[in-house]
Amino acid sequence: MMQGNNTLGFQLVANMERMTQDRIGASALKNAKYNDRFLDIGESLSALRNEKVGDGDSAIIIAAGPSIKRKDPISEIKERGYSGAIVATESALLYCLRNDVIPDLVVTLDPHATRIVRWFGDPSLNQKKLDADDYYRRQDMDPAFANELQANQEILGLLNDHGHKIRIALSTSASKAVVQRVIEANMQIYWWNPMLDNPDLENSDTRRLQDLNGLPCVNAGGNVGSACWMMASAVLNKSAVGLTGMDFSYYSETPYRNTQYYHDAVNLVGLENLSSVYINIENPYISENFYTDPAYMWYREAFLEMAADAAETCSTSNCTEGGILFGDPIEFITLRKYLDRHIADD
Amino acid sequence: MDVLKGNFQTKKPATLNKKSDNESLEDRFEREALKNLGGSIAFVSKKKVLWGDEDQN
Repeated sequence: MMQGNNTLGFQLVANMERMTQDRIGASALKNAKYNDRFLDIGESLSALRNEKVGDGDSAIIIAAGPSIKRKDPISEIKERGYSGAIVATESALLYCLRNDVIPDLVVTLDPHATRIVRWFGDPSLNQKKLDADDYYRRQDMDPAFANELQANQEILGLLNDHGHKIRIALSTSASKAVVQRVIEANMQIYWWNPMLDNPDLENSDTRRLQDLNGLPCVNAGGNVGSACWMMASAVLNKSAVGLTGMDFSYYSETPYRNTQYYHDAVNLVGLENLSSVYINIENPYISENFYTDPAYMWYREAFLEMAADAAETCSTSNCTEGGILFGDPIEFITLRKYLDRHIADD
Repeated sequence: MDVLKGNFQTKKPATLNKKSDNESLEDRFEREALKNLGGSIAFVSKKKVLWGDEDQN
């Protein structure tokens, strides 16, 4: 199923845990210490365990992978009147709100100082800032983001109008800009700490963080989509979770330039060796080829492990209808089939 | 360049960074590029939620 000469790609996957820690460990801790002053705005994530979040025992995750614009899962979810829990990544917030869907829970965690706030609408965004960072412009995401200033105005307005109706699982690792925007938009905050390392280790940062603020520490699986799944399965205790927009990969026709780490990959190996960084994978369920980068590949491996650990209490169905997230114990099915099953249950 | 070499004395002795000495431009470039790769947050094997109050892992 895996093809091509991508030795470097696999080497990077093997080192991704350490590289992630090097990249975000310090900023996540710094943000958590800064955010201590805001913890009395909102509640602990623990409070969510006592709330009814969506009907029945199932949930659907809406993430913002490239399949979203091709498959448009919200149309079917709305059409079928699904009333289970909808848990969305912050990156899928605009997609949900412009389709008149208020997610039951939104999750955010990435500590990046300037990028993540864009999903909530950045009140200080201007052309100069856009010129300095092409991260969103380049990628194969929600086409609504193609006109960045316009999309920013739209999400600012939508969140100002609807924020007070939306619960957010807000990680203490979130940036100052994100926290400020979430508070401004009057969202219902549930604070949590991301696990930064194994809490059983001596001098664990995770333990230190919990000693500092007393909040639950959640294993977020490397990314916000996986964190949504963890929230649905281990916090909301849903026994079935369906995934949409969780591609962890790119469609085969996507130019390398439209991938998240394009500039870094070029810096690392040069334009002529770019294919050594990426990994090609055939999805046997739909007989389609996708390619992925080392970070997405690491997310996939981590997710499969988490889903296997939870399999006794929570079944996971990938309804993305594309991408590379398949394998034991994940059931790869259409969204229609998942809805047939859970609309009847609920 | 020779004309600039050794014609002045610094106030403080300069200490050379050994790591940079041995590190080629290519290595440095690679190190910088790797710094930007990685996930959004950590993944911790075999863990779910550490509630703190009741420690359900």
